[in-house]
Amino acid sequence: MLPSGVIFKKYSGEEAYLVTRPQKLVFALFIVALFLFPMVSSTYLLGTVSFMFITMIAVLGLQITVGMAGQINLGQSAFVGVGAYVTAAMAVNYELPFYVAIPIGGLAAGLTSILFGLPAARIKGFYLALTTVAAQVMFPLAISRLPRSWFGGPNGMSMPSMELFGYEIWGQQGIYLINLCFLIVFATLTFNLQRSRTGRAFIAIRENDVVAPVMGINLVKYKILAFFAGAVFAGISGGLYAYYVTYVTAEQFTLWLSVIYLGMLLIGGMTSPLGAIFGVIIITLLQETTHDIGGFLSDRISFLDESVIFPATNIVLGAVIIAVLIFEPNGMVRRWRIAKAAYRIWPKPHG
Amino acid sequence: MVELIQSLASGVLLGLLYGIVALSFVVIFRASRVVNLAQGEVVMIGAFLAWMASSSFGLPLYLAVPAALVMAACFGLMIERFVFRPLTGQPIFSIVMASIGLIILLRGATMVIWGPSTRPFPQVFPLGAVEVGPILLNTTLLIGGVITIACAEGLNWFFMRTDAGLRLAAVAEDHTTALSMGISVRKSAIIAWVLGTTLATMAAIIMLSGSVLGVTAAEIGFRALPVALLGGLESVRGAVIAGVIVGMAEALASTYLDPLTNGALSQIFPFILIILVLLIRPQGLFGWKILERI
Repeated sequence: MLPSGVIFKKYSGEEAYLVTRPQKLVFALFIVALFLFPMVSSTYLLGTVSFMFITMIAVLGLQITVGMAGQINLGQSAFVGVGAYVTAAMAVNYELPFYVAIPIGGLAAGLTSILFGLPAARIKGFYLALTTVAAQVMFPLAISRLPRSWFGGPNGMSMPSMELFGYEIWGQQGIYLINLCFLIVFATLTFNLQRSRTGRAFIAIRENDVVAPVMGINLVKYKILAFFAGAVFAGISGGLYAYYVTYVTAEQFTLWLSVIYLGMLLIGGMTSPLGAIFGVIIITLLQETTHDIGGFLSDRISFLDESVIFPATNIVLGAVIIAVLIFEPNGMVRRWRIAKAAYRIWPKPHG
Repeated sequence: MVELIQSLASGVLLGLLYGIVALSFVVIFRASRVVNLAQGEVVMIGAFLAWMASSSFGLPLYLAVPAALVMAACFGLMIERFVFRPLTGQPIFSIVMASIGLIILLRGATMVIWGPSTRPFPQVFPLGAVEVGPILLNTTLLIGGVITIACAEGLNWFFMRTDAGLRLAAVAEDHTTALSMGISVRKSAIIAWVLGTTLATMAAIIMLSGSVLGVTAAEIGFRALPVALLGGLESVRGAVIAGVIVGMAEALASTYLDPLTNGALSQIFPFILIILVLLIRPQGLFGWKILERI
């Protein structure tokens, strides 16, 4: 739904995400506002938003594998873990700067995922969930059994702080800006992937993986590519996570976290990268508010305490995921589009 | 030699436990084509229901077990009514995704209702071991294994020989065709969920009898999912056979390979085995080979 008077002369124009000048202006202002955000925000809020950016990169990767290519992935947090550990090893053992260590972590996660994506050559549908669960089970076992000099064994690894051009980046502000830069790069990649040849191949496989090869799409290649791309995103997210929490252990990357990532994607809307971003925002808001409400109630009502409030968040989260699937299977992204269209044609709703 | 037979025998008994959980995946899949990823959480809820029947209500065991099974059946009805019935007609992919929501919901609900602490589970089956020559067999798992095989044979008869079971098969094949032939898809889904949750509760009782109950009981779900996939999601007997295969592989790996790898391989080996088998037979050992048409 576009404002009247917009005429496309080329297909590339129709593909564009930002068409009119006001749209571009508002988007540019939004990006500038994101960069200026640390100046007005409290440290706690900044930390939360910063962590949200890290999660967004992992969920954007999941959107490529699950949403775009339709391959179920229950092991995303294992790939995040691989990224975190390899980044940590690069930063600690080889003293590489973060802008080298994090991409190496991403690549390592991607290569690991190829190992688990290979069975996709023969196995179809939900049978593929098996290999991703296998990745999730193997990850902590492998990490704790590998030589201690590589990944610190069962003790985990402590991270050095980030350094850029000889200056140490410290405090929430610096980390926020680094995370924001990574998020912008990887969000752009996802949005562009969706309208590229590869992205269209992914979508064809998602819609019908019998028809796709008939149309000349190399099924095995693109399935593995979808796993690879999703895991690279996870690895990058893991690298940033390692610097953010400053300490990595294998227990941080559980099957439970993979499930939560999927839930975020479902609530936002699987079929659009915007859905991944919305999902992370909505779930983070949900968790923060239930914690606040829980904290407020537990001060006043005696039988409510921490052991009730945290699981209560999960009840709300699970119920919201199921409700979204029942009432709005396309996720919150569709609601957002409806709201946008309604705003544009207001006050004459019938055009 | 005795060591080999002993580890194989324990493996078979453990495998039969995987088998009954895998069976609960299969019965739900056969009638609704939904892989319920939350099956582990269903096992956990079943365990808590059984604990509640015997400890909170103070029922004697011969009443507590049937009471738990009845409550589990009601629980299955609730899941079907409030989660999966509204999703009828949606693509299978989003229905399976609903089970992701169910995982999070059921974990949270268990923690709120019963709390995170562990508790002793009642002793349903006798403790100890049965001696067969030089080999010792765990009594609980032995009785459990017999129950598993009995359940599998009963369900196999139900799915292959009875009218209602064949209807379920028709529904699994195609909802629209089944509807046009006068078969109620809704009734099939109800039967599937009731069977699935009661079987899961039975599995929970076998697994936890005389042991400790906590939220970690749910982990059996993702251990048994590969077993169900190995057997083929459509095959009732296949689930039990695959359970035995995986159990033996795990036992052998833990006896002979774990000393070499510091105890990691017994958990990974079943996955490697299953992936290798699926590369040769992608539909599982006894699954249906479905012809796909455009």
